[in-house]
Amino acid sequence: MPDFNPTQYAVSLFVVAVLAEMIWAKFRAPEAYEPKDTLVSLSFGLGSTVAGALLGGFALWLMFIAYDYRVIDFGPEWWTVWWAWPLCFVLDDFAYYWSHRAGHRIRWMWAAHVNHHSSQHYNLSTALRQTWTGNLTFGILFTLPVVVLGFHPVMIAICGGFNLIYQFWIHTEAIKRMPAWFEAVMNTPSHHRVHHATNPRYLDRNYAGVFIIWDRMFGTFEPEVDDEPIRYGIVKQLGSFNLLWSVFHEWAGMLTDIWRAPWWHKLSYLLSEPGWSHDGSRETSDMIRARWQARVEGEGASPAPSVATRNPIAGAQEAA
Amino acid sequence: MDVPPLVLQTAGSLVAILALAGLAWWLRLGPALPLTLDDEVRRIAAEIEDGFTPVAIACDEEGAGALARDAQGRIMLIRSHGNRFVGRVLTAKATALLKDHPGEFNIIIDCGEARFGKAFLTIADPATWADAINRLHAVHDA
Repeated sequence: MPDFNPTQYAVSLFVVAVLAEMIWAKFRAPEAYEPKDTLVSLSFGLGSTVAGALLGGFALWLMFIAYDYRVIDFGPEWWTVWWAWPLCFVLDDFAYYWSHRAGHRIRWMWAAHVNHHSSQHYNLSTALRQTWTGNLTFGILFTLPVVVLGFHPVMIAICGGFNLIYQFWIHTEAIKRMPAWFEAVMNTPSHHRVHHATNPRYLDRNYAGVFIIWDRMFGTFEPEVDDEPIRYGIVKQLGSFNLLWSVFHEWAGMLTDIWRAPWWHKLSYLLSEPGWSHDGSRETSDMIRARWQARVEGEGASPAPSVATRNPIAGAQEAA
Repeated sequence: MDVPPLVLQTAGSLVAILALAGLAWWLRLGPALPLTLDDEVRRIAAEIEDGFTPVAIACDEEGAGALARDAQGRIMLIRSHGNRFVGRVLTAKATALLKDHPGEFNIIIDCGEARFGKAFLTIADPATWADAINRLHAVHDA
């Protein structure tokens, strides 16, 4: 059985890439980085590794239990079935799409995933802003069908590692667009900038991990518009560089809401979308988008400076 | 003594993290972008809450933040956070305190969220703004 964790090998690559982007930022876009934000993002990455080692055992145990009920058996030397690897990668990415979508649409899962979005910057260090509490959600349930289908948990873990490595490089403003064929099929910096944006038009869009086709298939795709600057972060920006607050703020907010809510609304604060409230005092992403659409249709949209003007390299280099 | 791989990896990562954050600081990345123009305040206010259109604005002398009021009488506090800006539409929990610290600040605004922190601004006509903010509280209690 292969004993291989691709992300472990990728760590040094991550460090070198962040270093290279910082040097690019120094000369082209110094505002793209902020030292305190970078420190928080990288600390998230380290904490996530530790949390995964401490809390990941349960998810792995569940996967091995599910594997006993597999429909297809690739045999005792499953890793030698070469075609199972790309198939597993695609299916795992499909599962990732739905898990990620749930991560934005169910507050329990958002409490863990919001970590990845809480930076107001979008650079390679943001990619490492990974959750500490993902194992306290039910995200693993989205992967179990792939296990039951017959793919070994280790094969899925390795494919998931490569999936995560792929997603690293798309967290940048240094690349504007990839060639059209690539943009059509793959997740790219442009598609993922949309995902990290708080502009109403972009909220809860582009959930893809590696293949953007899932968003195109399931109606959640939104292309990046060049004449509207992207704002990164979350709808209600934290305004704090406190690492622990950044990690746990949504858990604290959710548990407080559950505690204070009338008992017949408590479950909704766990399972409804972020922004839902029993008294209508808050806004969900759908409400914010609807209000924005109504306003724009009423007023007519005004042109805004291009993202490219804030990003000289991207402006000069159409396709990377 | 055998050091567990996780400990070794964590220690190595910690060194890399501190080195990268230190490099970002050394390269002077993330320069502050002062907020001194009303148009910038309008743009940022609309980013914080889509459709928020200020009719009155008070910018901090040093560009560290601003207060903005819309036609409905809502007041938004904007303050710097690193080299970005964050803000809140003030509610009845907000308080404003006038202070006379020449060269430092003349008003302290607390939006009522402990983790969001207070804003220390030097603005024109601070008494009027403080009164308007503190009245949010009075209106709520009335």
